[in-house]
Amino acid sequence: MQHPPVWLIAPALASFVAAPAFAVQYLDIEQVQKLFFPRADSFTPTPLLLTGEQKAFVEKAAGVRMRYARQPVWKASENGALAGWVVQDEVYGKHEFITYAVALDASGTVRGVEILDYRETHGREVRNPNWRAQFNGKKHGAPLRLDEDIQNISGATLSCKHISEGVRRILALHAAALK
Amino acid sequence: MSHAVCAPSTPGGHAGTRARPLLGTLVEIGARGASAQAVDAAIERAFAAVQTIHDLMSYHDPASDVSRLNRAGADCVAVHPHTWDVLALARDVAEASGGRFDVSIAPELVRHGYLPRHADLAQPAPEANWQHIELLPGDRVRLARPLHLDLGGIAKGYAVDCAIRALRDAGMEAGRVNAGGDLRLFGGAEPIHVRHPHAATHLLPLCQLEDGAVATSATYYSAREVDGREVSPLIDAATRKPCAGGRSVSVLAERCAHADALTKVVYADPAAALAALQRFGAHAVVLDADLDAPGHCRARASGPGGWRELALPGAEAVAG
Repeated sequence: MQHPPVWLIAPALASFVAAPAFAVQYLDIEQVQKLFFPRADSFTPTPLLLTGEQKAFVEKAAGVRMRYARQPVWKASENGALAGWVVQDEVYGKHEFITYAVALDASGTVRGVEILDYRETHGREVRNPNWRAQFNGKKHGAPLRLDEDIQNISGATLSCKHISEGVRRILALHAAALK
Repeated sequence: MSHAVCAPSTPGGHAGTRARPLLGTLVEIGARGASAQAVDAAIERAFAAVQTIHDLMSYHDPASDVSRLNRAGADCVAVHPHTWDVLALARDVAEASGGRFDVSIAPELVRHGYLPRHADLAQPAPEANWQHIELLPGDRVRLARPLHLDLGGIAKGYAVDCAIRALRDAGMEAGRVNAGGDLRLFGGAEPIHVRHPHAATHLLPLCQLEDGAVATSATYYSAREVDGREVSPLIDAATRKPCAGGRSVSVLAERCAHADALTKVVYADPAAALAALQRFGAHAVVLDADLDAPGHCRARASGPGGWRELALPGAEAVAG
């Protein structure tokens, strides 16, 4: 190797630290809106409240359960014309709770998926709505991380299967209520 | 766009970090550069590089190079230069490890439910392995015997390398890419943590990484039960059987593709892996459950003289 990297393995090894809730915020929803639709001049909040019928349609079309009937959605417009939609969603698995946004163009095609924030903890807390609620309304730049030193975890892969399911659900949601 | 809270830590310049679901995991890309616009554009380029690898090497996507090869039988297939490069890197690691790393293990991963069953694939030959993948000039590939490729053991690391190159090409001063634990950075040293093999929320500081890569294989998120037996997606290519769970292997190397592939070699057999590590200038740290002290963990690091035990001062037992 031409430039051997500096490994400081042994001196750095110390004891394990418990990380009760590792969390990172990447973007807030306004930043994601501008990222997806840089030329849009307005983002109108158009939250969806699905009817029972629409909810059933989404669950059947996407093959996944719709946990809540309400979904935060913004309509992106450019010179008064529909440019597309930004849908905010959250998924949680055994260890992780992830907020993300999906951009759909005017025809309902996925333009992109971005993670807003990511947190992980012992599974039980993830399933507790009060634990999750403490992160709601966090502004960009708010200190979410509990241990500032821990930012690079080389860990085995955490599947993002839940996000794939979520995107499928959002596509069905578009068919049910945004077309 | 303003900076994110988890930007590369050295002061100066503009920094940003974003994450997207790609390669079946979360890919996080951070960079520091001269302006916010330059950082945004560089991160976008790096994600595009990862997306390219994702599209070429997906086992799930019928249009990927991997799927085209798996369907091609004995026909010669023209592939993207990236696919050819990954297959060449995989061959290097297979050679150096005596076949302990093998990209022809897709049938085993399908059998254990880690990959989907594709009905349109011909039966693989039972004795087919990496040696039957012919890399021909002009970015062409031929499978001399019917076999099913899966590049899941190396493509993530390769994608990290490509994303790092994109950040450098875009003029970034510092950058970091983490694809589900396959991680590489440049432009400043940062502490790297690994998870306890039996308690994923417990973290251990592993090293200060500077201009290099680290990849970790462990089974805390991926092990599942099949017929009452725990199986992992880490296949020991020597026996074609899943490795047992409960171990965590981290490999440090210059290139993330090497680190990624070598974790599988070390996981299967640390003693036999030393030559392969040396061949790529790589180092490894293995964490195993301490059988004499439940909840505790033993650590070993590779070195020129073999594996040496590392002390974990004050390591208290953690709940398994």
